Amino acid sequence: MYSRKNQRDLTRTEKKRLVDAILELKRSGRYDDFVSLHRQYYVTDAESRPRPAHMTPSFFPWHRRYLLEFEKALRAVDPRVSIPYWDWTRDNTASSSLWADDFLGGNGRPGDRQVMTGPFAYRQGNWRIRAGVTDDPFLRRNFGRPSSPVTLPAAADVERALKDPVYDTEPWNSVSTTGFRNRIEGWGIRGGRGVANHNRVHRWIGGSMAGAASPDDPVFWLHHAFIDLLWTRWQKAHPRSRYLPARELPAGDPQRDRIFPLDRPMPPWDVAPSQLMDHSRLYRYV
Amino acid sequence: MNPTDGTKGEPAGAPRPARRAVLRTAFTAAVIAGTGGALAPVLLGTQGPAGADRERGAVGPERFSELYKGREIRGTVTTTVPAGAQPYAAAPPDDGKQPHAGAQPYAGEAGAAAAVTGTEVSVDGRPLHVMRRADGSYLSTVNHYESFPTLLETARAAVDELGPAQLSAASPHTI
Repeated sequence: MYSRKNQRDLTRTEKKRLVDAILELKRSGRYDDFVSLHRQYYVTDAESRPRPAHMTPSFFPWHRRYLLEFEKALRAVDPRVSIPYWDWTRDNTASSSLWADDFLGGNGRPGDRQVMTGPFAYRQGNWRIRAGVTDDPFLRRNFGRPSSPVTLPAAADVERALKDPVYDTEPWNSVSTTGFRNRIEGWGIRGGRGVANHNRVHRWIGGSMAGAASPDDPVFWLHHAFIDLLWTRWQKAHPRSRYLPARELPAGDPQRDRIFPLDRPMPPWDVAPSQLMDHSRLYRYV
Repeated sequence: MNPTDGTKGEPAGAPRPARRAVLRTAFTAAVIAGTGGALAPVLLGTQGPAGADRERGAVGPERFSELYKGREIRGTVTTTVPAGAQPYAAAPPDDGKQPHAGAQPYAGEAGAAAAVTGTEVSVDGRPLHVMRRADGSYLSTVNHYESFPTLLETARAAVDELGPAQLSAASPHTI
């Protein structure tokens, strides 16, 4: 049992330990395996293959397990670290301590959007992007995308999602207009709402985080720890609500073999959503 | 050429042959590239919800080549009919059990389900991997968390997000 803290509450020493553990995973090659895994399981809802990670009810449990695996790797390096969470409704500017030189470093520079500060700047020699979307070997950020400005989600956006008492709804994909899952995952609905919450944060950071290799930016983990915390908050707010779909969909339903109901094991770990509903024996949010 | 954006693409309102004629054309050749003017509405109709079809129909077929912010972006709709799924092109079967293609006027319709609809988009000659959502919109490896109604908008958004960066030549084609 360990704690996941708000990143704004970390001490200087805690930040250094976390950064050092991440750099060690990068040095050993394990970090890039995590980036590839995320890329591998990005399946869209126009495809007929199973999609455990995105545009799908198991968005929350798949990423919970993914973070647990990463955290396990981090803690094998240094058992005192855990993944902190970034509450982007609160620390919502480029001047947040999150982006300081002693933690994740700042925005990309104008022009090539290369991150120049902090431990993940290419020139520091410890953070080479090997399998990114571009040829660039450096981490890229483009806060707020000035060419077509985007803002971070507001607290009210999160509250609206948390109020929905239904976990997820048909058609169980990126066009589900109601339900907590897609309100947080945040796919834009044509003629309805725009890009929201989880997706919007990826977009606001931009650069590496906007693309297929988004875990190349270590802020990915802090962002997803907050997404994981929001799931826990939703469960507490709606104690009688359950993960949906609870059972296999009927034969003939086009989503039947593409999504993961409560008890269907998810790749690559062969773990069902039902096994990931409660994290209280592993970690807690403080 | 459109003076405002340099578009050289075919007009969206190009005349469309009758559906049957289009199908026959489609299944005569194994691979037809750059047929955006006529094929896209039919091909796009083989997948996705009805709403997506209407949207795509409204936008029109896609084939473009333009200079956007100094980058050359290109897009085509390509269809590949897998070998063995070409009822009009295949030689007559010799085992007598499979129906002769010519005797099956609707074989083309069945074949349509097997046809693979592909899109090819590039920025400065480097392939931009594009995927689709259930509503028919597109997203790319560069913009993984938002989607766009057309391939052209997808390509332009990729340029905006790339800045001066070049797409990776080693980018895996399937992700």
